[in-house]
Amino acid sequence: MRIRGFHWAIVVVGIALGLMLTTQFRINIEHQRNVTIQRVTQLASEVEKARQKHDALKNRVDELREELDQITSSPQLAQLRQKVEVTRLQAGLAPVCGPGVEVVLKDSEIPIQPGQDPNLYVLHDEDLLRVVNELRAAGAEALAINGERLLATSEIRCIGPTVLVNKTRRLVPPFVISAIGNPETMIKALEMPGGVLDILGFWGIRADVKKVPEIVIPAYSGSTTLEYASPLTNEGGDGVE
Amino acid sequence: MSLTMVTVVLGVLLAVQLRSTEPPEDTTMSIDRAQVLTQELQVLAKEQNSLKAEIEDLEQAIASATQGNEQAKKALQSEIAKNKIIAGITPVVGPGVIVTLSDFPRQEPPESNPQLFAVRDVDILRVVNDLRSAGAEAIAVNGQRLISTSEIRAAGAFINVNLTPVASPYVIKAIGDPEELKNLLEMSGGLAETLRSWGIGVEIEMADRVEIPGYQGARFEYARPMAKDGRG
Repeated sequence: MRIRGFHWAIVVVGIALGLMLTTQFRINIEHQRNVTIQRVTQLASEVEKARQKHDALKNRVDELREELDQITSSPQLAQLRQKVEVTRLQAGLAPVCGPGVEVVLKDSEIPIQPGQDPNLYVLHDEDLLRVVNELRAAGAEALAINGERLLATSEIRCIGPTVLVNKTRRLVPPFVISAIGNPETMIKALEMPGGVLDILGFWGIRADVKKVPEIVIPAYSGSTTLEYASPLTNEGGDGVE
Repeated sequence: MSLTMVTVVLGVLLAVQLRSTEPPEDTTMSIDRAQVLTQELQVLAKEQNSLKAEIEDLEQAIASATQGNEQAKKALQSEIAKNKIIAGITPVVGPGVIVTLSDFPRQEPPESNPQLFAVRDVDILRVVNDLRSAGAEAIAVNGQRLISTSEIRAAGAFINVNLTPVASPYVIKAIGDPEELKNLLEMSGGLAETLRSWGIGVEIEMADRVEIPGYQGARFEYARPMAKDGRG
């Protein structure tokens, strides 16, 4: 009987050991999972903070520009001030308004047949590039996607279902491209047979084109500091500041 | 003794069983998320630095503009000069890359229809877009400076850039960090690889000095400046 009791004790201890082992493993797995999730949430909150800082700095730039404008508002400087305004407009650093079009692009609603590549039926950065390019070819004077002004240096890049423009701006669908220019010319260029919307339609990507009598396109939201490019003098010598 | 063994084995089996019923972790997904966020952080840090530099510039301009009319004039002139570079009016120089795209460097096009894999406007657009992603500060295609309204669009046998027809070989010059510009195009599975597999010739050359002309043809017929509220 005493031997039997001893055996039972071992069984109990063994089962307890097994349970402990299991819990241990579980905690490990839980911990691992938490680490990967926590890492992402940590990074996401850092990105959010950095973005706020970025916006604050950008606001400061705008404030300082206005301050400079006010300081230099004396009549003797009127001509130069005028030129500053014009070049700001040309550079995309000032908001503009005027007649134009709005193009809204959405993913395909065509039901995907088995065996078809669903990737072919979603909106790609290339599609946005093409629409913007077509608008440029049709004489667009100022462009924005979801309110982000496009400059000569603006990229359009898909990251998953979102689009990154101006390096730091993450846009989510639906994508609205606004363009100031001759509305009729732009609409005709977009909608011509064999044109860009025709091709997108083949993949089921939906585009709504709308003529708008007055669009506001905001100023560029990024920094304009150039690290590598410097002006080239007419003589073809070294760059001067 | 054998009973001890059996119970321990039972415990281990239990543990293994429970472990394998855990849903498999989607590690690739979380790495991707973390990667995207990390890249975003790096870009934001860079942008913050250049915004800080811009703030310093403006503060200096304001400080000197308050000293007198002559200084104010200079401050405005440097603002104008800066704007004209961003607008693409002023020719610029700097380090960068020269990318050459050409139709069929090899004699035989890959398919019977040669036009299918010749350089298309969209190929140039994508190269330009990649260069912009990699931080290019100024770009020209066959001598045409790209400004914010420049198109790159097929028009008959040519491709129009700034309404000027250009033809193969397409020489795309970009000013920026040469390594970064080149690396983005040349990365594994990247654009250069894709274009080459179609039979398009892609050459990417890093250069210490790339000259990019200005473009003065921009017109504003429809766009007007916004009236600033409160002033003018």
